[in-house]
Amino acid sequence: MRVLLIEDYRPLQTSLTKGLREAGFAVDVTGDGQEGLWYAMSNDYDVIILDLMLPGLDGLSILSRLRAEDRQNHVLILTAKDTLQDKVKGLNLGADDYLIKPFAFEELLARLRALVRRSYAKKNPSIEVGDLRIEMASQQIWRGKEEIHLTPREYALLEYLAMHTGETISRADIWEHVYEFGSSASSNVVDVYIGYLRGKIERPDKPVLIHTVRGRGYILGAQQ
Amino acid sequence: MTHSIRTRLLTGISVGMATLLITFSFVIYGVMRRSLINQFDASLLSTARLLEASVEQDKGNISLELEPEQMSEFERTDHPTCYELWQSDGTVVAKSPSMGAETFLPDNNLADTPVFRSLIMKNDRPARAVAFKFIPRMADSEKRKDDQSAETPQVTLVVARDASDMEHNLRFLRWLLLVSSASIITLSFVVGGFVVRQGLAPLNILAGEIAAIKENNLTARISTKSLPVEIQPIKDRLNDMLIRLEASFNRERRFTSDVAHELRTPLAGISSTIEVALTRIREQQEYQAALSDCLTIARGMQTMINNLLVLSRIDTNQTTFRNDTIRPAEIVDSCWRLLSHRALEHNVTFENRLVAEMTCNSDPDGLSMVISNLLDNAVEYTNEGGQIWTQGKQTGNKIEIAVSNTGCRLTKNETPQVFDCFWRGDTSRTDTGIHCGLGLALVQRIITALGGSASVEVLPGGIFTIRLLLPA
Repeated sequence: MRVLLIEDYRPLQTSLTKGLREAGFAVDVTGDGQEGLWYAMSNDYDVIILDLMLPGLDGLSILSRLRAEDRQNHVLILTAKDTLQDKVKGLNLGADDYLIKPFAFEELLARLRALVRRSYAKKNPSIEVGDLRIEMASQQIWRGKEEIHLTPREYALLEYLAMHTGETISRADIWEHVYEFGSSASSNVVDVYIGYLRGKIERPDKPVLIHTVRGRGYILGAQQ
Repeated sequence: MTHSIRTRLLTGISVGMATLLITFSFVIYGVMRRSLINQFDASLLSTARLLEASVEQDKGNISLELEPEQMSEFERTDHPTCYELWQSDGTVVAKSPSMGAETFLPDNNLADTPVFRSLIMKNDRPARAVAFKFIPRMADSEKRKDDQSAETPQVTLVVARDASDMEHNLRFLRWLLLVSSASIITLSFVVGGFVVRQGLAPLNILAGEIAAIKENNLTARISTKSLPVEIQPIKDRLNDMLIRLEASFNRERRFTSDVAHELRTPLAGISSTIEVALTRIREQQEYQAALSDCLTIARGMQTMINNLLVLSRIDTNQTTFRNDTIRPAEIVDSCWRLLSHRALEHNVTFENRLVAEMTCNSDPDGLSMVISNLLDNAVEYTNEGGQIWTQGKQTGNKIEIAVSNTGCRLTKNETPQVFDCFWRGDTSRTDTGIHCGLGLALVQRIITALGGSASVEVLPGGIFTIRLLLPA
């Protein structure tokens, strides 16, 4: 899942980016409001984490502009402004969630995952495809009774496919939601990671789960 | 002793009223008494003159002949008039029948002008008497015969009349004045009490309104419209005070909330750095990096808290400043040494154009704090590859030090705010996380405490200048 972090406080930027990437999110990050708006307009982020007091353009203006342009991205406001009025104002302008600094990183992750589930209309934090089970909260993967360990990037790829179980997903979609800005620009990377993922979840004695749709992309499902 | 306006007003009104009434009563009584006595005496004297006209001397014999209608006045017993006539040798010539066996004592010092006096008759009744000497009229035969006679014996006449009616009237007048005065004083006390209470009612209304204003609702104002003009200024002053109080409370509240807000972000930085570090087992270098980040943040918070403490100490006059002869150019150089590496990172160049010989009398530590904050601010906000420079001059008994930098993105309207606590101009480089908008607020407070002033100027081309004026 791809996240945009707009936060100007450098130490927070660093730790959040690191933590979110480790949690399987593709993270684009900026400390400038104008730049943040540009990022948000040019990519289809699953969630935008937005600070309010920003240089260049303040967070609420970014939010208003996004909603005025009818962008449907989920926005989580992450700010030190803690008054009821601030919260109401942020939510009324179209934010989906509001978290006050200082916060527990675990809580931020949980809220982000909830927003992601809402993006894909999934209430259940666990997805089952055949005998493959994905626990999104703990990022644990099981094939039958066997636990499978994935790298963050592999997990992100699987989660994205799982969110669209039964649907054909193009390489471009995968690229946009799983890879962050500045990743080496080659569509081949997606194929390589699909290869890694297949190596880890497919079993010779079990049905194939990741299918290639020639010329269109990939599909995750128990049957083709 | 508690002072009560009501008691004072009431006492004042009552004492004033009583004094006025008593004086007035005494005057009235005095005038009335004098006039009654004069009237009485005039009537008494005319009776005496009639008697005088009835006294004749004939060949040395003095006689008093009264007509019968005249006699009636001297014979009555209820309010009798009596007279007594003596010769100069003291022998009584005549006396009124009403006197019976009584006698007046003749007064030898009498002249021929009538002398009046009050006396008490034998029956204990008050009376007025008139006495004078005169030479009795000659009988007609005598006058003709002996006009030049040297023997003109004087006689003394005393006429007294019962004055109990007059005394009764005066007593009535005294009583009337006393009763009316007492009633008026009592009435004035009651009416005065009412009027004073009515008059002071607006004070109670005012007190009620003031009591209703609580420290958490300083937006309230005293709104009573119908206050008397005497209380209007109190209301206005109180409202002015409320406005100042509200502004001060709001400033305080904003400051507290700003402090809390400014502390939240670095706290979030520390906690998320630690939390992320703890999410898994890591390499030693990663832990070191996380700890080093936390240390940087903690130092930033420490700087902020130190600045807040300095601000608070200056505001509460707990800071003492020395008055040494110092060279500002040297202070600028020593402050710059600590910042030069940061400037280098952003290719910012610096030039100290202050004349080395220029001196002023001020506190070296205070001025160092000011200059280092100004330079720090300049490094923070100067554009990549920009310039910072300091200039100075002495004019009269003041010296001026200006710190300028390029790359300012502030508008003219924003410049007055730069000295506000926690105000941060729009910037593309707040990545230190330490800068929390206290530096310039601190500069202004210190400079003011040193007897100087600070002003800000934005010139075309993004040149930002802070000008300090200090006593030389």
